[in-house]
Amino acid sequence: MTQFIQQLLNGLTVGSLYALIAVGYTVVYGIVQLINFAHGEVFMIGAFGSLATWQVVCQKSTGLWVLPIMIVGGALCSVAIALVMERFAYRPLRNAPRLAPLITAIGISIALQRAIQLWYPGATSNVPYPSIDGVTGGSLTVGSVVIQRTTLFTLGVLVVSAAALYIFISRTRTGKAMVAVSQDPDTARLMGINVDRIIAAAFAMGAILAALAGVAQGLRDSNVSSTMGFLAGLKAFTAAVLGGIGNIQGAVAGGLVLGLIEAMATQYIPGQFGGNAWSDVYAFIVLILVLVFRPQGLFGARVVDRA
Amino acid sequence: MSTATRRPRDTEFASGKGEVLLQASDVLMQFGGLTAVKDVNMTVHEGEIVGLIGPNGAGKTTFFNCLTGLYKPTSGEVRLAGEQIPPKPRKVVKAGMARTFQNIRLFGNMTALENVMVGTYCRTTSGVLTTVLRGPKFHREEKETRAKAQELLDFVGLGHTTELLARNLPYGDQRRLEVARALATDPKVVLLDEPTAGMNPQETQQASDLIFRIRDTGRAVVVIEHDMRFIFNLCDRVLCLVRGEVLVEGSPEQVQSDPRVIEAYIGTGDDDDFDDDDVQEGPA
Amino acid sequence: MNIPKITISPRPNVGKALLAGGAVLLIVAALLAWSYDSTILGDLSISGNPAPLQEFAIVMGVVGLIEAALVHRRLTSLSWWDTTSSARALAVGTLVYIVLIDYNIAYQSGGVINLDPGAWLALVGALVMVAGSFLLAPVKVTNQLKVHGANWLEIVVITATLAALLFMVAFILRGDDGGSVLAALAAGGTFGVLLFRGGFFTWLSVAAARHRPVIMLGALVVALLFPLTQNGTDANMSIAVDIAIFLCAALGLNIVVGLAGLLDLGYIAFLGTGAYVGAMMSSAASATIGWHPPFLVVALLGALTSAVLGLIIGSPTLRLSGDYLAIVTLAFGEIFHTAVNNMDGTNGPDLTHGPNGIAGIPDLNLFGFNFGSTHNLGSFTISNYSNYYILLVLVAALIITIFSRLNNSRIGRGWIAIREDERAAEAMGVNIFGLKILAFAGGAFLAGLAGTIQAHATPSVVPDNYTFQESSFLLAAVVLGGMGTVVGVALGATVLKLLPEKLRFIEDYRLLIFGLALVLMMRFRPEGLIASRRRQLEFHDEDENLADIVQEEHVDEQKANA
Repeated sequence: MTQFIQQLLNGLTVGSLYALIAVGYTVVYGIVQLINFAHGEVFMIGAFGSLATWQVVCQKSTGLWVLPIMIVGGALCSVAIALVMERFAYRPLRNAPRLAPLITAIGISIALQRAIQLWYPGATSNVPYPSIDGVTGGSLTVGSVVIQRTTLFTLGVLVVSAAALYIFISRTRTGKAMVAVSQDPDTARLMGINVDRIIAAAFAMGAILAALAGVAQGLRDSNVSSTMGFLAGLKAFTAAVLGGIGNIQGAVAGGLVLGLIEAMATQYIPGQFGGNAWSDVYAFIVLILVLVFRPQGLFGARVVDRA
Repeated sequence: MSTATRRPRDTEFASGKGEVLLQASDVLMQFGGLTAVKDVNMTVHEGEIVGLIGPNGAGKTTFFNCLTGLYKPTSGEVRLAGEQIPPKPRKVVKAGMARTFQNIRLFGNMTALENVMVGTYCRTTSGVLTTVLRGPKFHREEKETRAKAQELLDFVGLGHTTELLARNLPYGDQRRLEVARALATDPKVVLLDEPTAGMNPQETQQASDLIFRIRDTGRAVVVIEHDMRFIFNLCDRVLCLVRGEVLVEGSPEQVQSDPRVIEAYIGTGDDDDFDDDDVQEGPA
Repeated sequence: MNIPKITISPRPNVGKALLAGGAVLLIVAALLAWSYDSTILGDLSISGNPAPLQEFAIVMGVVGLIEAALVHRRLTSLSWWDTTSSARALAVGTLVYIVLIDYNIAYQSGGVINLDPGAWLALVGALVMVAGSFLLAPVKVTNQLKVHGANWLEIVVITATLAALLFMVAFILRGDDGGSVLAALAAGGTFGVLLFRGGFFTWLSVAAARHRPVIMLGALVVALLFPLTQNGTDANMSIAVDIAIFLCAALGLNIVVGLAGLLDLGYIAFLGTGAYVGAMMSSAASATIGWHPPFLVVALLGALTSAVLGLIIGSPTLRLSGDYLAIVTLAFGEIFHTAVNNMDGTNGPDLTHGPNGIAGIPDLNLFGFNFGSTHNLGSFTISNYSNYYILLVLVAALIITIFSRLNNSRIGRGWIAIREDERAAEAMGVNIFGLKILAFAGGAFLAGLAGTIQAHATPSVVPDNYTFQESSFLLAAVVLGGMGTVVGVALGATVLKLLPEKLRFIEDYRLLIFGLALVLMMRFRPEGLIASRRRQLEFHDEDENLADIVQEEHVDEQKANA
């Protein structure tokens, strides 16, 4: 039982990270039907951006007060990257065959990884990520279950982000416009919505959440690496598909479900094919099964037949 | 407006009642709670031209999609030459029914000849081995395909366009090319979805002539059209579809003079548009 | 893309004089010393004894003189040759070439001050040529497609072109420092662009179609002769083997992406499958399967295993298309990588020895021919790697044959129809699922075959050779080179594999450049360097002008071949 709850927590934590990144995929896909393959790299840039902010702006302090500054710094970096790629790489390709943006995304992804390796000091291997008072360090014990502080932080980030996201989508002009554009870009344009701006806003929103995930991941693993974006991005995409691509609530739920599946499979699949070494494979098998048998996702996509 | 006059048949099909080629019985098509096509019956004989009219959203194209296997009817059945049609468009083509599209769907970056050659795909059999080894069968079949495609281009009056790209052809020629491509599948029944949409009177006249000539080869033709004069001049029998149901069926004269048909055409058009492209694409 | 047009009012007489004058300066300069230091760029320090790089400058000068003469007096038999455009290409290329060399000399010997007079004179010559070429008036040329020389002449020209290509490649490979390689590339590029702008390649494309068997055979012979230019050394041949393996895989992928239009992001797994089957069934000490049949059997098994995987990976195409399919293939690729990485006895059965891979795979022995030893062919020595290279060239030739035969057939037309409009294709009776699966399984089969050879040609088979990055390199070779064309993919594969090997100084920036190149290509030339016309049309759906041009070319070509 303890083990089960422990895995449940693990799954939810990892799942929260997937969920935060997955929103970026789903919003962008919902609006421009583009799998922004480089979104994993946006997440990675967010993590490195926050690290750089900590090193430069926060003077490597470990007080809790630096955390918001780190988050803002990371978010600024990832938003900047996301906007640049949207404006200069994707926007010119909006009417091109589907192959073009996908290959562009792969190109951006490879270039960004390499750029970080080349120019971020020490980034050819793992770079240590700071511990911050209050959110890292000594774990809590409830009964026989050990809860890491980073787990609580990650879950907290997800809850707060999800609430903020909900308010953004349902209350703000930009949020509502985003929904309108994703349903019918042409009509939205006729209604006077600046579609280019909304698409940029979607990229920026996804980037902010990805940066949050980057910070959470950094705190959790105590290090970041230039290649962290690839797998995380792929799994987050899985989560987005699982929740029904284009469906924002679905992406959050999909992330959590995927995290749980991974954690439980790792724990409970017996024999040589069980355990951590295969956990990525479980996620990919889920991805394939969902895409093949239920491409509209577990919760049904708002947008259908977009593949 | 069309000025085509109905043309007498060749003696072979003089009765107009050859063998039954296509028979749709009680075809019902529902999308969720929406009934797009309701209990439609239609019989088409060899050498017959049947028209399908009705206001926008009457379910004409949806009914076409049921006939060609793109949709599986909720209930009812469609028989082609006595056999129930297979559930896949590709197999329906092979069974002997081909179609054109309301919005032209040619392979734009292929030449006219290549477009028609694609149509022969289901009647040719060269597989990977034959193709890679380039045996005598490959050369024979390729030659035959080419010759047949050219013949069909000549038949629809596009003999001069052989090596031109489909996307470069004028609109009317594109429609005719679609017909040639459909004919290349060797169909018993040809379904034409608005073959004269966007055509000028002269082109419409040519289209009628072409359909008569197709009929004269012994094939049956089913035509969806909005242009009343065109369809009444062309068809042996006309079905008027309103809100997914057959309102009137009969000779052009009967349908033309039926007050219900006139009524149906006035004051409708606000239904959900089932002829819309989105539906034609099919749900996920 | 809007490039502002530079308009210079033409002064043809001044132009041709300057062009000729610059060319003469260049030739004279090439006979002088360019540097005092004989170690730089293969000794440019002796007057009157031009080094290879200076010989190129002489050739450029001579071509410049010929161009000037042609401007002076047009020959009717060469009325299709665009003198002005080609002269400009030559002049600009020459300038780039000279600047590269001068920069290199200055850089290596510590400053511009160390350039000898020859280097300066060459620079002046090149500048004068540029000035002259841009003063030439535009010329009206006759349609190159309609040029039809005597058969023997055409064949001689094609053969000469192929031989020149072989020479150029061998020369580039011979360079052992980055500077020489870059300079040689610039020279090769200059001649290439010169011929392109002059209209030679337009003619070549039709002429090659007329003499298809000749050009195929010629290309094969050239590729097979390549080891003879290496004097039996292995340094370049091991690179050539890498390129050949990569090329085989890229050509296989070209069937999937270029013909069937399906995006496969996990294609390297098929090469890996072949390699692992080859390795596990080899007689290596670490082989994990006890049965060691002859190589031909292993090759067939490897290819078939790979094809079966291709079937499995391709089966979602029944329900998926586009981006989703690409993601599924990516996931399969990752599963393959994780699986071979894991199966070391602890995490799964011991099949692959995990991250260490299977090492010490013995050399191939086919019909008593040992690939590990050197063989003598007359006075030439065929080394170990050359053996593999020759085998791989033959495999590549096989794949190219299969590719082009499938392309020009009922099956190929079906694939194009699917790419154009899947639903319309299905409504016309095309077996979409069958054709897609065929592309997947066929491509996998060919990659698997190449993989079994790779197992023997490389020291060991390890999981890290088969990562997503490798898949994206393969895809890039296809996309950058030109989807659906053999020449394009061959060019893409060679460039992608060769440049990093030869230009060590870009090693660090290789991935960065590569990534950015992908982005820029998709933006400005999505159809690839050497585009298939059809692909070009697909990527420029709204370009009416292009459609007209392509159609005209096609019609002319049909007439020329009739």
